[in-house]
Amino acid sequence: MITEQGVKDFLHTGGYIADDAIATAVFLALRMEKPILIEGPPGVGKTGLAKALSTALDFPLVRLQCYEGIDEGKALYDWEYGKQLLYTQLLRTQLDSYLSVSADLREAVERLSAEESLFFSKNFLVQRPILRSFLSEKRSLLLIDEIDRSDDEFEALLLECLSDFQVSIPELGVIEAKRKPLVILTSNGTRMISDALRRRCLYLYIGYPELEREVAIVRVKFPDLCETLARQMVDFLRKARELNLRKAPSVSETLDWAQVLSILKATKLTPEMVANTVGVIAKHQTDLQKVTELAVQELS
Amino acid sequence: MERIVARFVAALRESGIRVSPGESLDAVQALALAGMEGRRSSRQLLRLTLVKNVNDIPTFDVAFNRFFNRFQFNDPEIDISGLMDAAIVNMEGEFLNLDQLQGDDHDEPGPLLKLDSDINPEDLQELKSLTEIDPDDSDGNETVVQIKGYRGKAKAPRPTRRYTQNPLTIELNKSNSAVRDITFSPEEQAAMQDVVSRMMLRLRKDMRRMKNDQSRGKLHVIKTIQKNYRHDMVPFQVALRRKRREKPRLVVLCDVSFSVSHASRFMLLLLHTLHNQLLEVRSFIFNREVAEITEMLSNMPVNDLMETIDEGDIVDLDENSSFGQVFLSFKKKYLENLRGRPAFIILGDARNNYGEANDWVLDEIREKARYMLWLTPEERDTWSRGDCLMETYGSYCDKVEVVKTVEDLSLVVEDLLRDIYADNAHPLDKKRLREAKAAEVYDSKDYYTRGGSGEPAAFDPSGRSHW
Repeated sequence: MITEQGVKDFLHTGGYIADDAIATAVFLALRMEKPILIEGPPGVGKTGLAKALSTALDFPLVRLQCYEGIDEGKALYDWEYGKQLLYTQLLRTQLDSYLSVSADLREAVERLSAEESLFFSKNFLVQRPILRSFLSEKRSLLLIDEIDRSDDEFEALLLECLSDFQVSIPELGVIEAKRKPLVILTSNGTRMISDALRRRCLYLYIGYPELEREVAIVRVKFPDLCETLARQMVDFLRKARELNLRKAPSVSETLDWAQVLSILKATKLTPEMVANTVGVIAKHQTDLQKVTELAVQELS
Repeated sequence: MERIVARFVAALRESGIRVSPGESLDAVQALALAGMEGRRSSRQLLRLTLVKNVNDIPTFDVAFNRFFNRFQFNDPEIDISGLMDAAIVNMEGEFLNLDQLQGDDHDEPGPLLKLDSDINPEDLQELKSLTEIDPDDSDGNETVVQIKGYRGKAKAPRPTRRYTQNPLTIELNKSNSAVRDITFSPEEQAAMQDVVSRMMLRLRKDMRRMKNDQSRGKLHVIKTIQKNYRHDMVPFQVALRRKRREKPRLVVLCDVSFSVSHASRFMLLLLHTLHNQLLEVRSFIFNREVAEITEMLSNMPVNDLMETIDEGDIVDLDENSSFGQVFLSFKKKYLENLRGRPAFIILGDARNNYGEANDWVLDEIREKARYMLWLTPEERDTWSRGDCLMETYGSYCDKVEVVKTVEDLSLVVEDLLRDIYADNAHPLDKKRLREAKAAEVYDSKDYYTRGGSGEPAAFDPSGRSHW
């Protein structure tokens, strides 16, 4: 029996500091066997949550990166035409002898079509991520990353998979999931996702973390960084987020910066230190300037 | 518990959040699984299962605090009249506090969720009848207001209502002369994003079909052979030659003088948002002189650009606008090097300050253009008054539209894009599109507000003089 606190604890062992909302969502997703749709600004740990979960729960991670133009051949399954063709070529002699028994063409066609299922069997099926996670012997974690990059048609395709955990293949029939995977969808909100898909998911919005949580995240990832520096740096970044930058520094930038600072063996933030490492946190030229100015203002 | 959730869902629907029955079932299941230890966790559970959009979260929080404040009956044994009194006192008190509650999305020290032993629909009925008992009571109205929220019988939120409640209906007309705040608030930008993304959604389907049609062509033999090499040259996958795909080109001339600045702001924002999304836009702004801002639109944050324009760095804003002169210099500087046959949009009030009209230039532009559209923020009645040359200039345009809101603007632009695409489309599609368009019924609220003429304005070059 898993509890919410349990979820938090095992995520912690996976190196992920969850807040209550995240823990509750994961807990519910596990119990209700429903997908979670995670939205939030880039770099707050949407994909990171999936990865941490997969290590913590020991579910194999099956990742499907969405892009414009992704279709069922890339996401669900595909037939291996080349292999099918190769087999017919190699088996030509057997086929000849098998078909030579038949008296006329009609009978030959009938004999051949009786064996059709041979060529549309699982032998020739390429499993793409979704089908692979459904057919996995162990309960897996299916990460459908950046769903907002895909097209509407693909979203519609997902509906059947996500609500019933099954895939319909015309030649084989409906294939049901052996073990229902834990499904995590992430979106950066570049496109509105349809209500139909939203309805099938639990909805989790991950924003920028609170001060304490962010400090804790830094401390977990970089234990050798001293507490005061971690706090000072997180505090500075939180102020930078309010600057109205083109790309606000996110948790991933915090971690990058923490790494840089620990490599540089910094003990205290100074305006010079910020100016030297500003490229890690600001990603646009105008932003660089604003952040450096903030550093002079705040730290000197 | 089911009933509480159902009532809460009804309250949510009343505040405009769309919740499906499936989602309410999820909520019940979630509550059953996780238990209801605290207000915080219950709220989280409900939010996870019922709200599926970031923008709805603040509304949810307000609704939650309001709804679960009502159930402050701690003793289930209490008799019904006491309960009723408590309810009314509670509600009145709450009514007074409503204002504070509105902006409050934090947890308050409210009660936990209570199960439905406390109150049942009969009580509610009785509560409702209270208003009929003493209608003279001065508190009557307030009680009605509260009970209305109580009843939980919400009409399904009509999409049109939601539409109009959205921030999209920012009035362009609103005069902002008192405080000339030229930059956009995040809300306005978000609203514009919203309008554009909706527009894109509507357009995308048509566009894609047309794109597919456009790209089909003859067999590309070499590519087909290459592609099917591994299939032993059996052409399983066919490669077709691509036809040249024409990107619709748009040229926008936007008046930025003070008289129309409230409208041109939004035009510029729309352009900024549209830029590079699906078409090639060249944007010009003018007052007395004309300048191209295409580069700036795609490279600068919109607010910086607005400030630059406002400071008069690009075109001098202190002079009176002169359409005639602008057209002349536009012809001299830019007309020759416009590629293709672009569609023209001119935004302005055509108030020429009694200068030379130079309307013959428009005729030349018209020859270069595929389509010409004039947008004006003024009503048709004023078109011939004073120094307004709308009637003169209008006769050169395919269409003159009155735009007042962002929504108008986006609809007009969408319509234009559709027309352009239809123009590029395959002959078969063209026919189908034309039929589809003819079949559309325009009601009076439609954006074809062509002052009383009443005729639906289909894209038809022959009709261009009879607006």
